[in-house]
Amino acid sequence: MNPFFFGHSNHPLYGVYHPPSALPHKKEAILLCPPFGQEYMRSHRAYRQLTLLLNKKGFPVLRFDYRGTGDSFGELEDTTVNDWLEDITIAVEELKQTAQVDNISIVGLRLGGLLASAASADLQINRLVLWDTLASGKDYQEDLNQEIAKFPNSLGKFIDQNGTLHFNGFALSKNQLQDLSKFDLYKKPPRANQIIQISSSENPAEQKMKLDWAGKNNFSYQLTPAPGDWNFVDDFGGILLPHEIIQEIVRLFDNQGQDAK
Amino acid sequence: MKEIALKIGQPTALTAIVNTPKQLDPDKPAVLILNSGIMHHVGSCRLSVKIARQLAKSNILSLRFDFSGIGDSENRSGTQSFHETSIAEITEAMDYLEKKRGIKKFIVFGLCSGADASYDIALVDQRVIAMVQIDPYCYRTWKWYIRHYGPKLLSLETWLHSLSVRLKKQDKPLGFSESVDINNLETASYVREFPERNEIASGLKALVNRNICMYSIITGGQSEIINHNSQFKESFSDVDFGNLLTVEYYPKMDHIITNPEYQRIVIDSICTWINRVISNN
Repeated sequence: MNPFFFGHSNHPLYGVYHPPSALPHKKEAILLCPPFGQEYMRSHRAYRQLTLLLNKKGFPVLRFDYRGTGDSFGELEDTTVNDWLEDITIAVEELKQTAQVDNISIVGLRLGGLLASAASADLQINRLVLWDTLASGKDYQEDLNQEIAKFPNSLGKFIDQNGTLHFNGFALSKNQLQDLSKFDLYKKPPRANQIIQISSSENPAEQKMKLDWAGKNNFSYQLTPAPGDWNFVDDFGGILLPHEIIQEIVRLFDNQGQDAK
Repeated sequence: MKEIALKIGQPTALTAIVNTPKQLDPDKPAVLILNSGIMHHVGSCRLSVKIARQLAKSNILSLRFDFSGIGDSENRSGTQSFHETSIAEITEAMDYLEKKRGIKKFIVFGLCSGADASYDIALVDQRVIAMVQIDPYCYRTWKWYIRHYGPKLLSLETWLHSLSVRLKKQDKPLGFSESVDINNLETASYVREFPERNEIASGLKALVNRNICMYSIITGGQSEIINHNSQFKESFSDVDFGNLLTVEYYPKMDHIITNPEYQRIVIDSICTWINRVISNN
């Protein structure tokens, strides 16, 4: 594993490159696009586990943080959603150079899947794995609004007078929310040779996406009930690792995605 | 300010990010920022990153890293406890900065388990001159019980609720809810257990004897242990802190500091305190 900063010197991104740990080395490299906020914190270990298993199958992998998040440059409030799309493009280029391959696939979890889908329009992506991905930015905002409504007196979940949405220690500005609301996978599906939607539960939005895309030759849907909820933390700091879904993603890559139904 | 990602230590390297200010003075202490539980080196709500970057503006070098097996650091084999490995790994980080940057004094900062690790390393390594702890070890006093139970004892609603809870508890088996599959549960390598108060009091006396400056920030997230401003000092009434200890108590602040205003307060307070300690050093 090689932690490093890459990209533009004015706004470097933090990433961790994991070279393949087993032979034969695959000619396909995988970029992991993280979710946002506490979901990013809680899924960090699951992403690392996924990375190590993909490495054992010969895949090079890059994990990274978007601008204004994690260890990457900048403050969140100064960052735009377009910056994040640009960051995905920068990360794809970095991965191509580092792994010495042209064939790039992406795994995106939750908001990471939505951003990867939006960025895919300008990229050549082989396989795009959408893990519990949001169908639209509006869906995401509705999810957050519903959670905020459950805790009207919370100091950690609220919308301030500027329209900035604060959720468990992370904030999305009014502009960021407006930009995200333009993303809608129903109206504008992602562009990739293969699109694999993998869900840990059957929720209405993902079901609708599955039905909408059912006729597409390059689309497959995989329901993998994952009792290991990647977003779970117990009172003692224990976390659940979604072993089943991690193994399923590895299997999808290792089997060239042929088994996904 | 320049941030560089590093791999430090043996046998399996730890992932670290060193934040070097424009003007590095090796005589100035550096700040080590430790993991909180299983959270990686970014810190709760990005707190570690923000503190590191603010310190760099004051020309203070900081290093944030992941203990082995946490975040971006690989596992190390062995049977040592977290208590033992954390001391060894913080020592590696200090050795690295001493060897590569000539820094000989350190301030350690941590939240929760990071606070515990700060205390542990301060006890055994003379290079540590100060520590900042969020939610450090603390102990109940008789005033805690009065404040906790006093208002409730006078409330009929509390009595009724207590009775209801007791009745429900008789029917409920212990353990996780049905939605949690414990086969997928990966427990933190560190389960926080408070040592005996006398042990910590003894350790704090040793730190006072070495003139270690201490800054303790207490959140409302520890209300089951601490519920008023003076309790921390009162719970260690046998320790004469003199002017070495600063305590701030924020009853409305949660343990991982999710409120943006409290995040600003904590970052500013910590950086101001560290600057003061360094200028007095």
